[in-house]
Amino acid sequence: MNSPFSDRRILLVEDEIFVVWLLEDMLADLGCAVVGPASSVNQALAMIDAEAIDAAVLDVNLNNEPITPVVEVLTRRGVPFVFASGYGRRGVPEAYRQNPTLQKPFQAEALAQAIDAAFAKAAAG
Amino acid sequence: MPSEQNKSREQKAAESEVESFRKELGPFVVAAETTRMAMVFTDAKEANHPLIFANDSFLSLAGYGRDEVLGQSFDFLMERPADPEARLKVDAAFAGSSENEFEICFRRKDGGMFWTAVFISPILDKMGDLVQHFVSFVDLSKHKEEEDRLRFLLGELNHRTQNTLATVQAIAVQTLRRAANKEVVDAFEGRILALSKAHSLLGRKHWETVSLRDVIDQILQPFGLDDRRVIRFSVKGDDVRLQPKAALTLAMVFHELATNAAKHGALSNEAAGKIDIAWQAEPTTQSDRIRLRWQESGGPTVKPPGRKGFGSRLIEGGLAQDLGGEVRLDYEPSGVVCQIIMPIRRESGR
Repeated sequence: MNSPFSDRRILLVEDEIFVVWLLEDMLADLGCAVVGPASSVNQALAMIDAEAIDAAVLDVNLNNEPITPVVEVLTRRGVPFVFASGYGRRGVPEAYRQNPTLQKPFQAEALAQAIDAAFAKAAAG
Repeated sequence: MPSEQNKSREQKAAESEVESFRKELGPFVVAAETTRMAMVFTDAKEANHPLIFANDSFLSLAGYGRDEVLGQSFDFLMERPADPEARLKVDAAFAGSSENEFEICFRRKDGGMFWTAVFISPILDKMGDLVQHFVSFVDLSKHKEEEDRLRFLLGELNHRTQNTLATVQAIAVQTLRRAANKEVVDAFEGRILALSKAHSLLGRKHWETVSLRDVIDQILQPFGLDDRRVIRFSVKGDDVRLQPKAALTLAMVFHELATNAAKHGALSNEAAGKIDIAWQAEPTTQSDRIRLRWQESGGPTVKPPGRKGFGSRLIEGGLAQDLGGEVRLDYEPSGVVCQIIMPIRRESGR
């Protein structure tokens, strides 16, 4: 599929294997290249250091580990990101509630809209 | 303990009152002293209802020594400033109102507040004259804590349900992607998502009741309900609250109707079609009911489907069986019409 973010490199941080597969397929259908998946905060931080990434899709809770350190690094580097959470917006760290957030479960279209919104937000500064 | 000469006149009076009390009631006083229910007796002959007896449970609940409360007015125990409504209730109960059980906030010696359920009951002497009041207190702190805990657990369960539904969606898509065509996978995903939205809405309302309007908004939002460029929906109706089961079933029904409209009906052509949704609440002798009409217009000419799919089975069977309602689904050439009549539980105090 041709989309506004064809060939963008998207870091996927998610610890539930079935959801990883689903998101990999959704992102591939949008023409994105998937970086990862990372299933822990440390893994995610290592990937951010080692790989070139354009944006990230983040589960908010990785096996009871809050995603906050990853969010802080991405923010510092100006990398746009999207939260995906069964907790909805209330599951997101307080300071980042304005960020595009997907309530799990969601369909590919919602994912595309959220990534789009994240890029737009980053472009706006 | 203050020495004998330091005791105030009120306190001495109160103590002598308790003495005569003890003589008359004997074993009951011992029982009152040792029971785990916090209780006090107040003097009904004084306007400010001073305490003439307080048991150990009450003293440990309120954090006072016995000397510090005997002789004090009942107001002394209440939060300061006392809630005017609570004051009125207490005064009314002392004056003999039958509304003598309620929840009010009291104040501990250390200034902390605590909620209790109080019960105020008159005590008459042999002549039938009002002499005292008996007041018992059930500490609600534990109860309130338990309520908070349950609320927290319910929240956690709601999130886990959403995560589980996401996993179900993921497993289904993985399982079906080679075996089934995209349409089947999309239909399944759409239904899981509709279910998830209804769950999420109910979760936010602590699984009590939700408004019909909110259910419709949630379900139709992906079908362009909020689209300001093309107005395709008209949604009008009374403020109706739904029980969780009714909300879940109706959410699925609206999802099926809207999906069908997007494929074959009023939402399938460019901008011409429209859907009117209108309902009224109707009181009947036994319970209330709602009468709802989903009316499509402006779409392609409607042909009745060859066989009944999931949607029409759910709409016709689910509503009738789950909710005791009546449904008519008509494939009129000018547009699908779905009429629903279903009972709703009457709200108390609304």
